[in-house]
Amino acid sequence: MTALVIRRVIRLVVVLAGVSLVTFAILQVSGDPVALMMPEAPESDRAVLRETMGFNEPLPVQFVKFLGSTARGDFGNSFFHRAPAMPLVLERMPTTLLLTSLALLIAVVVAVPVGIYSAVRRGSLVDQTATLAVFLGQSMPVFWTGIMLILLFAVQWRLLPVSGWDSWAALVLPAITLGTFSAPLFLRIVRSSMLEVIGLDYVRTARAKGVSEWFVICRHALVNAALPLVTVIGLQFGLLLGGAIVTETVFAVPGVGRLIVGAIRQLDFPIVQAAVFLFASIIVLVNFTVDLLYLYLNPQIRVR
Amino acid sequence: MKRWFLPIVLLAVLLATVAQSGAQPKDTLVVALVSHAPVLDPHFHFERVGILVNINMFDSLLHKNTKLEYEPSLATSWKPLSDTQWEFKLRRGVKFHNGETMTAEDVKYSFERVLDQKKKSPQFGNIRAIKEVRIVSPDTIHIVTDKPFPLLLERLVFFPIVPKKHVEAVGDQAFGLSAPVGTGPWKFVEWKKDQLIRLEAFDQHWRGKPAFTHLVIRAIPEIATQIAELKTGGVDLIRNVSADLVPELKAHPQTYVSSAPILRTHYVHLDMRTEPFNKKLVRQAANYAIDREAIVQKMMAGLGRVVPTVVHPAAFGYDPSVTAYPFDPKKAKELLARAGYPNGVDITLHSAFVEFRPVFEAIGQMLTEVGIRTTTKMWDPGPAWNKFFQTEGKATHGYYGSWGYYSVFDAEAILHPLYHTEPGGWVGRHYIRVEGLDALIDQGKSTVDQAARKRTYSQILRLLKEEAPSVYLFHQFDTLGISKKVEYAARGDEWLWLFDGKPKR
Repeated sequence: MTALVIRRVIRLVVVLAGVSLVTFAILQVSGDPVALMMPEAPESDRAVLRETMGFNEPLPVQFVKFLGSTARGDFGNSFFHRAPAMPLVLERMPTTLLLTSLALLIAVVVAVPVGIYSAVRRGSLVDQTATLAVFLGQSMPVFWTGIMLILLFAVQWRLLPVSGWDSWAALVLPAITLGTFSAPLFLRIVRSSMLEVIGLDYVRTARAKGVSEWFVICRHALVNAALPLVTVIGLQFGLLLGGAIVTETVFAVPGVGRLIVGAIRQLDFPIVQAAVFLFASIIVLVNFTVDLLYLYLNPQIRVR
Repeated sequence: MKRWFLPIVLLAVLLATVAQSGAQPKDTLVVALVSHAPVLDPHFHFERVGILVNINMFDSLLHKNTKLEYEPSLATSWKPLSDTQWEFKLRRGVKFHNGETMTAEDVKYSFERVLDQKKKSPQFGNIRAIKEVRIVSPDTIHIVTDKPFPLLLERLVFFPIVPKKHVEAVGDQAFGLSAPVGTGPWKFVEWKKDQLIRLEAFDQHWRGKPAFTHLVIRAIPEIATQIAELKTGGVDLIRNVSADLVPELKAHPQTYVSSAPILRTHYVHLDMRTEPFNKKLVRQAANYAIDREAIVQKMMAGLGRVVPTVVHPAAFGYDPSVTAYPFDPKKAKELLARAGYPNGVDITLHSAFVEFRPVFEAIGQMLTEVGIRTTTKMWDPGPAWNKFFQTEGKATHGYYGSWGYYSVFDAEAILHPLYHTEPGGWVGRHYIRVEGLDALIDQGKSTVDQAARKRTYSQILRLLKEEAPSVYLFHQFDTLGISKKVEYAARGDEWLWLFDGKPKR
C-alpha cells in the first residue's frame, strides 16, 4: 500500500517535470522570442534584451534556470500587465475553479440519477430521451451552447442576465453551459456500467434476499458502477478547464481562461506559461487524487 | 404534474426578479469594450480600449470636436514660435479630481514621466522628438523639439495631464491600478478587473457636469454577447458592429446604429521581391482587376468608401488629383500579357484579418478572373502569423490587411509605418523596393511648413500610383450599436467622447 503511494508520488514528480519541459518549449517553438517581443527594434536593442533575458545561453542551461524559477513559481513579468505573471493567474483562479466546480456538480447531479434510471428502465421513454440528449449534448460546441442559452434565457425570456459575474444569477448560464459539456459522457458511463453490474450474480442474490429494489440499486450496484465514473470525472476536469476558456469568453467571466486568450493574442508568454503550468499541475494533481481514491474505493487494487 | 407546477412558477418569478434588478437607472451610461487596458494610468499603455476609458477621466492640452477640428482643452491657445518650438497658454483654475488646481508643473511633469526612458512608457515613441518642456510663466509653457515635429498637435490630442504631487505621493503603480486622478468629466470609483470600471461625474469639471452621473465600462470579449446585452438593456453602447449585424440592430425596437467614416484603410501589399510582382505591369494589372465599389456595396453593406490612394481623404497630405485605378479587367489582362504572362500566373496571398475573410476571398476571385490565379491563405492572428510575416517576411506574394493610423490624421502616420525601410516600416522592410521613397518620407516630416509637406506628399502619392506597390481598397466605417435611451453619434476618430452623450427623453 505505502509502496504504491510512493510509486504514484514519483510518477507525479516525473509528470510535473515533463509539464515544465512543455511549458518551456512553448516559448522556443514560437521562434525568436526577442524578435516577437520587439518586432520593430533595431538589432542592437534586441541584443541587449537577449542578454538580460538570458536568451543567448545554450538551451539546456536556459531550461535548468527555467526549472529553478518554476519551482519558485516565478514565470517572470507579464509584458502586457508589467507585473509578475503567476499572481495575475492566481488572482483569477478562484473564479475559474468556482465555474468548473459548479459545472461538474451540475453534470454529476443530472447524469447520475438519469443514468441509473436509464439503466434500470432500459428502453423506457426516459432512456430514449436521455440517449438523444447525450447525442445532442456531445455534438454541441461550448460556445454555441452558450450563445443559444443566452438567446433563450436572457434575450427571449429575460430570466437571467446575459453575462457578467457579479450576482448568483449570473453564474447560472455559464455553469449550465459548461456542465452540458460533461454531463453526456457521465450519463453514458453511469448507464453502461450500471447495465453491466445489474445483470451480475450478486445483484440477483441481493434481490433474492428480498431487500427493496432501491436498496439493491444504491447499496449494491451503484457502489461498483461508480468506479469508472470517478476515473472519468478526474479526466474530465482537465477538459472542463479547457471548456472554461471558451465559456469565460462567451459570458465575460473574469477568470483565467480570458486571461489566457488575451495573453495568446498579445504574445504575452509569461502569462501563457504560468497558466499552462498551473492548469497542467492541477490536472496532474486531480488525477493523482483519483488514483488514491481508487485505492480506497476498490480493495482489489490495494491487494494487487 | 400538478406537484411540479407551483415550484416552477415560483422559480421563474424569482429569476425574473433577479434579472430585473440588473436593469440600469437612467443617469447611468454603460459601455461595453472587448477588454480593459492593463492599467488606468494613461501614460503606461497604448491600447485603444484604454485610451477610450482614459479620455473620459483625463483631459489633454488639445481636444477635437465632432468635425475633428482642434479645440482648446487644457491649453486655451497655441502657436509655433519656430520650426522646433511651440507656445501653449494653459487654462486657469482647472481642478483635478482630488481638488488640487492644475499648474504648469503638472503639465511639465506629465511629459517628463513619458520621456523618462527608465520608466519605459509605451508612448515614448509618440513624443520622443520633444527635447524640453519649459515653464515660461504660470500659464505659459514652451515645448522644444530636437527637430521639426509636424505631428506634435496630433499627438497632444491624446496626451493626458496628470497631477504631479498625487502621482509622486501614491507611486506609479497605485496610480495606474487604484488611484487614478485627472481633470476629466468623470472620476474613478472602482475597477473590477476583466469585469467593469465604475466612474462618477466630476462636479467641478471645467466644461460643467456631464449628462450621465455614472459611467460603467464593462469588459465583454464576445460581440454576440455584447449584442445580447445591448438588446436587453445590460449595456447602452457597443463598438465595432460589423456590417452583417447592422440590419438586426436597426430593426430592434430598443436599439439604433450610428456610423462614421474612420481612418482604417484596407489594402493588399504586393511582394516586389519575387515573380510576378517584381514587374510593375503585373502590379498595375492587379490594381485594374479589383472592383472595389462592388466589394464595399455588396460585402460591407455600403459601410466603407473606396480610397484612391494610401493616404486617407480626411488625413493631412491627401491629394484629390491622384485618382484610383478604375476597375478594368480587360486592361488588366492586357498588362499581364505584356508583362510576359499571356496564360496567367499562380500566386498566393496571405492574411490574418479574419473579420474580413469574405472580402479577402473576393479579392482572390477577382484577381483569378483576370489571370492572376490566386490562392488565399487565411491565418489565425497570433504567434505563427507574426513570425511568418512580421519577423521573417515570408508572406510572398502578398498580404491583405489594414492600417488605422493610431487615430493620427496625417500622411506621416501611415507612410512611415508602412513603407519606410528603417525600423517602424514593417511592410517596407520586406516588400517594398521603390527607389527614393524613404528619402521623400523623411523629407515630409522634416519641417512644420504644412504647404511644403503637402507638396512632398503629393509627390509620394503620384510615385505610389505609378509604381503600384500595393492595391488600395477602401476605408472602413465604425459602427456603434446604441440603446434608444441614449443619444450619441459615432466619431471619425473612433473616440468615445461620452461627454457628448445624453439621455433621451
